[in-house]
Amino acid sequence: MAASQWPAGPRWRGGRRLWPWLALFVVLALVRWSKGAGFVDAYALLSRPFWPGSAQKEWLQSAGTLEQKAQLELLRQDNARLRDLLELNRGSGDGQVAAAVISRNAAAWWQQLELGQGASAGLASGDAVIGPGGLIGRVQSVTPTTARVKLLTAPGSKVGVWVPRTRQHALLVGVGTARPQLRFIDKDIKARPGDLVSTSPASTLLPPNLPVAVIQSLNSRAVPAPKGVVQLIAAPEAVDWVQVQTR
Amino acid sequence: MARLHAQPICVASALAIPMLVLAQPAWLTLSGVGPSWAVLWLLPWALVDGPISGAIAGAAIALVLDGLGVDGLTQLPALVLLGWWWGRLGRRGRPIQRSLNLGLLAWIGAMVVGVSLWLQLRLVQGLDAPLLQHWAWHLCLTQAVITGLLAPMLSSWQLLVWRRRSRA
Repeated sequence: MAASQWPAGPRWRGGRRLWPWLALFVVLALVRWSKGAGFVDAYALLSRPFWPGSAQKEWLQSAGTLEQKAQLELLRQDNARLRDLLELNRGSGDGQVAAAVISRNAAAWWQQLELGQGASAGLASGDAVIGPGGLIGRVQSVTPTTARVKLLTAPGSKVGVWVPRTRQHALLVGVGTARPQLRFIDKDIKARPGDLVSTSPASTLLPPNLPVAVIQSLNSRAVPAPKGVVQLIAAPEAVDWVQVQTR
Repeated sequence: MARLHAQPICVASALAIPMLVLAQPAWLTLSGVGPSWAVLWLLPWALVDGPISGAIAGAAIALVLDGLGVDGLTQLPALVLLGWWWGRLGRRGRPIQRSLNLGLLAWIGAMVVGVSLWLQLRLVQGLDAPLLQHWAWHLCLTQAVITGLLAPMLSSWQLLVWRRRSRA
């Protein structure tokens, strides 16, 4: 009887030769299953010194910013055209005057700011004054070179606002403290703490859709209508420069 | 005896009040509330120059300060009353010059001004929210404390200088 061409030996010897191939197959299957994750990670680690420099990244970011600016401008123009059609206030965008705060009385009986721009720069009584983030008050009186601003926090200050999320109107009333009071007109309110408060889109006295404050707390059982306390977005006691929206 | 109101330099010192009100130095405030500069100036003036001059000076300062305020509130009645009262105190009895007395008079003066403004907010403008009451009392007391603390330093110095000038 001729000898077999296969090496003789116990059956387990063949399995011992086979298991590295099986392990390799399992590894390759895992690579396939993970969509080559290990290889990509290894490649990323090895090729990191040769990645594109920050210049291209900045270029992409600035391109993105430019694109957003262009989109914003187009939307602004579109919005202005639609508001013209509806005969509403034109809103923000044009006619803003930057003014320095030259005197500040945010913690006194008269809560007001004095601005370093006046009637000669186009400011007039009733103009909206915008701090970084949102509305802080309205121009009360002007001289040729200065303007006096009554802050939203001043006692007796009243401004019509609305809550964009629930589309409900309210009155923002200054009570002296840094947090004005929000008096709702409807009895059934759906607003909740954390909601943004802005000027009304149909406002004729103030620029529409201007952020004003964030609701801090609500008392839905208040009589005759629910009340709330808001935190202004722009803090008047820390503002050094403001934008005045001229009309 | 040269009266203070006859000395231009003394009258001109009142111009510092609106400037200080506008500047409101942050390092002279107590939790953001500044002193009543009108009270700090009027106290020594009225003590040296008498009730009539004190009342007129109070009215003059109040008119200027009311012009600097937004609108609807006035310090006129409080400052006229204080000028008259301090003027009478200066004319009767021993001269007031101790730091504690000056501080106490300035504290009372700032409280009178604050309460008069609070009453105007409440009675004339009809504002009576609980938050507003809390803010008004806090402002009243804080302003009175900082005014009373500064009076022994500022008003006693003014009193000394003006008494010397009025005797000259």
